[in-house]
Amino acid sequence: MKVLKFGGTSVATPEARRASANLVRTQKEPVVAVVSAHDGVTELLDEAARAAAAGNRRRLARHVAEVRARHDGPLLDELERVLAGLAALGELTPRSRDLVLSFGERLSAPMFAADLGSSAVALDGGAAGIVTDEQWGEASPLREVTRHELRQRVAPLLEQGRIPVVTGFIGVTQHGALTTLGRGGSDFTATLVGAALGAGEVWLCSDADGLRAADPRIVAEAAPLPEISFAEAMEMVQFGAKGIHPRALEPAVESGIPVRILNTFRPDVPGTRIGPVAASGPGAVRSVHLVRDVSLLTVAGAAMVGRRGTAARIFETVASAGGNVRMISQSVSESGISIAVSRRDLEAVRAALEGALVRPGLVRQIQIEDEVGIVAVVGEAMRGTPGIAARLFGAVARAGVNVVAIAQGSSELSISFIVETARGEDAVRAVYSEFL
Amino acid sequence: MRIVLVGLGTVGRAVAERLRELRVPGFAPRLVAAADSQGAWIDRSGLDFAALRKDAPRHAGVLEAIEEAEADVVIEAAPTVLSAPGAAIERLRAAFRSGKHVVCVNKAPLATAMPALVELARYNRVQFRFSGTVGGGTPVLDWAARCAEGDRILGLRAILNGTTNYILSRMEEGATFDAALAEAQEKGYAERDPSMDVDGIDTAVKLVILANAVLGRRSVLSDVAVRGIRGAGGGTVRLVGEIGERLSVAPREMDPRSPFAVRGTLNAVQLTLQNTGEVTLVGRGAGGRETATAVVRDLLSIWHRHWEER
Repeated sequence: MKVLKFGGTSVATPEARRASANLVRTQKEPVVAVVSAHDGVTELLDEAARAAAAGNRRRLARHVAEVRARHDGPLLDELERVLAGLAALGELTPRSRDLVLSFGERLSAPMFAADLGSSAVALDGGAAGIVTDEQWGEASPLREVTRHELRQRVAPLLEQGRIPVVTGFIGVTQHGALTTLGRGGSDFTATLVGAALGAGEVWLCSDADGLRAADPRIVAEAAPLPEISFAEAMEMVQFGAKGIHPRALEPAVESGIPVRILNTFRPDVPGTRIGPVAASGPGAVRSVHLVRDVSLLTVAGAAMVGRRGTAARIFETVASAGGNVRMISQSVSESGISIAVSRRDLEAVRAALEGALVRPGLVRQIQIEDEVGIVAVVGEAMRGTPGIAARLFGAVARAGVNVVAIAQGSSELSISFIVETARGEDAVRAVYSEFL
Repeated sequence: MRIVLVGLGTVGRAVAERLRELRVPGFAPRLVAAADSQGAWIDRSGLDFAALRKDAPRHAGVLEAIEEAEADVVIEAAPTVLSAPGAAIERLRAAFRSGKHVVCVNKAPLATAMPALVELARYNRVQFRFSGTVGGGTPVLDWAARCAEGDRILGLRAILNGTTNYILSRMEEGATFDAALAEAQEKGYAERDPSMDVDGIDTAVKLVILANAVLGRRSVLSDVAVRGIRGAGGGTVRLVGEIGERLSVAPREMDPRSPFAVRGTLNAVQLTLQNTGEVTLVGRGAGGRETATAVVRDLLSIWHRHWEER
């Protein structure tokens, strides 16, 4: 069997649903469909919940009317009762927010099932068997319980020749309260269902042709990658490749079930297949990415040399300032540690480091590069291929781009380096034409 | 320790008796609810098992009693019905989500949903014990888990069904299958419908429990390749459950001098360990009193850990 998950734009309009339903019908094997909320509806519900809790009746009425314009059925009355309850209480807990958000998928699945025809049956995540913990907003499934329940509830429908249409993104606690799976939620539902039922493949259908070797806005000719490994996909999404959340890949990785990313509206384009092993091919480099809006702080000063616990102190300070560290680079001489953080965290991190390290004289100064870019090069086959770094930095040098700092994980899955923002795209193009 | 007992059959009665005669300083078991499939009787000050009358009006449904009773532990001792494990699974889930420890001797929920139940117990931070499901009063599961510590189990084979072992032992002595089966039924070892035993299902269920609990291998009944003893026999043949690459149950010829080739209704479990070689445990595998003793052992270990972890 196969799991086909349809994203928000693949279910939002009658034409889109027709294309999606067609994709389901043309499969030769049994299919479980997993559907997202209609594009934009989750955001509407979120705003409606906040308007209700804030007592803003006019805004609430407007958002509800917008939802009603896109959906119908008795579930909308239930939604209004829930929102009225929030308005009466004047507060929005994470738990009640999950309940409101769940309506997006719960309204979407029956519409999709109706379009598929009488053999389709719509199921809430909970009814399908997704049982989670009580981490509202980003619930984690109880994996074994979920596996057992999915097999009990969804597998028999397939045996009867039905097409289960499962709401993505939502689950239920052991006590029966609704939860949401957070970022990448619908993809997560799809891979959970696939792993439990032993799917041959999980398809994630959206409006993108697949994962690309580079951002097409930088490298116009960059095409979707036909085949990459799970490890490469995990790495690529860290660097901002759109398409899938790392959490959602986990069940597929554990069960070794390939995941395909493809375009609902262009089903002839094969998309990207993510599988247990990397495709064999001539190139060691699979993709190149540019992470923008990054700042580089370099903690320098002879007082640090040989002093125990300096690194721990630095990272504690960065973490306590709420900074998310994107990249770290340190020389063996210990005379400086460079840390790349998101640009919006820069001032908070700088102030914290100056207060904790410069003020007591542990460090002479914090050097700042306000705006830099991280170029990340991904490829599992780089491991054990000699000369990659030489070719890589040779190509960057020939393009006249200065490399500020370098980091490579010991897994050799990716190499990251920092360049001036203005030269980021040149660096990406240089790497692309050298390897891809 | 406040107990909810589900299942009023042979094992349930034996458990109540063992608890009455048990003398452990500080351990004061009290039966605050007792239930069968019809419903539950509840008494916070304690029920007298012997005085329960099946026709007396019930106070609550079973699930309600489990979830709402002020109790520390639920004993699930309803009969094993493999074709319909759902109700027992629901009872265990109700116990876990209401924060109660569980002692289970009903094999049906374990055979079909053991990984899920173990996960749910851990998530709710309660203890889940089921020693009585394998080997009756012989502590097979604890023994095997202890053997695996600091070593590695390379293989496991086991004779886990006393009824079939009795039949095969008698056949080794020259009896026919039908005569040996009739004899086993006469002695009360075999049921009128002996298929659970002679078709190897009971052995397969116990093997699944061993695979999950001792080897950490996620498995359910449908993962086991099962062949029963109909048509087998002659020579030293035993019905053996084996955990190797796969899980299997089948009649196997063996060396009559091996300590593993036990006779009569005995059970035997043999582990092959990487560093300590072969170890074998032999004991009586079934019986109300034996199984009730396993339940009491589980209750005591829950009681100890419950207070140690405070």
